[in-house]
Amino acid sequence: MTCDEFEAMGLDAGREASLSKAQCDAAAAHAASCPRCGALQGSWEAARLELRSLAQVTATKDAPARVEMRLRQQFRTQYHTPRAHRMAIVGAWSLAAAAVLVGAVSWVRWQSSKNDAARKTNTPVANQGSSQQNNFADSGILVADNELSDFTFLPGVLPADADDGAILRVRIQRGALGAFGLPVNEDRAGEWIQVDLLVGDDGLPQAVRLQE
Amino acid sequence: MLLRRAGKGDEEAFTLLYRRHQGPLYRFALRMSGNAWAAEEIVQDVFMTLMRDPKKYDAARGTLGAFLYGVTRNRTLKHLERLPREVSLEEKSENGTSTGIVLKDAFTPALHAEKRERMEHVWAAVLDLPAEFREAVVLCELEERSYEEAAQMIGCPIGTIRSRLHRGRALLMARLEMLRDTPRRAGAAR
Repeated sequence: MTCDEFEAMGLDAGREASLSKAQCDAAAAHAASCPRCGALQGSWEAARLELRSLAQVTATKDAPARVEMRLRQQFRTQYHTPRAHRMAIVGAWSLAAAAVLVGAVSWVRWQSSKNDAARKTNTPVANQGSSQQNNFADSGILVADNELSDFTFLPGVLPADADDGAILRVRIQRGALGAFGLPVNEDRAGEWIQVDLLVGDDGLPQAVRLQE
Repeated sequence: MLLRRAGKGDEEAFTLLYRRHQGPLYRFALRMSGNAWAAEEIVQDVFMTLMRDPKKYDAARGTLGAFLYGVTRNRTLKHLERLPREVSLEEKSENGTSTGIVLKDAFTPALHAEKRERMEHVWAAVLDLPAEFREAVVLCELEERSYEEAAQMIGCPIGTIRSRLHRGRALLMARLEMLRDTPRRAGAAR
């Protein structure tokens, strides 16, 4: 082995597995025979020992605990804050949607009840048998007393014709009774009164009953 | 697996990942920079990068350890470029305690001082090496990695490692000789 070869690989003898036993032996023989390379090897061995000591001193060094703390804090900030923020946004939107829904339903119900109340006051009421009651109830007509004896039949109508009729409660001016052929007090003709009309199958009134 | 869990916000998985890898990365940064604060910052920066963008790691290209080592190496080299002459053998924290290298196995104050001085010389000699030679010395001599392993970590052929180590050793020995001679000469002058 020459001095150049020793410089290139001799210092690795004993540590590098890529060197064969023959190469290691040749390096050792050269170091023993060449004072310069022997001194080089000695110098390197001393340096290596010191490097080993340095390695031992730093071998157990770990990053300080504060690094882990900082990283965990950052981790929480990165992952948990957006999640909480997202949940808060979703919650707020859900609440808003629920409020709008409740408001809409309440408004619809209020409108519906308002219409019903208006119908109760303005719309006549019918009542005739249970099957017809349902039909009238669907159309918002209230059922009235079905006792026909209180009705005054309009001129030209026979009581037998009124058997299948429906009773409607309406609010009319007293003067309108004249149209049915009934006597009207002219002084009170403009007065609003509530009457029950017995309406036949053809939709024409057949009898009228004045409310108390 | 841990990385995937960490990517979904599992803090415990991230902590486990950190604890598993921080030691070697910190030691490498410390040995390369000679500065405990810098090593701390580098390790923190590496894990911040992993936390912010875990998809940067591609399992098909190697292990997570190798990836983290690569990031640490880049950060360390950048740090050395920024502060090329920053050599800190031992730093004092705010409360006066040492944050750098501390020798704990000294028997007597005299031995402690001598050993400490010698260690400071070695440390200074290592830190005085150019970064590429220093890296080869740190990996092959301090961390006792094989040439093949070091070549894989750095991403260069084994021959390059050999030649860097060869040059690094020569510079290191010359520097150590010089440092050894300096106190002798100072003592003779007295």
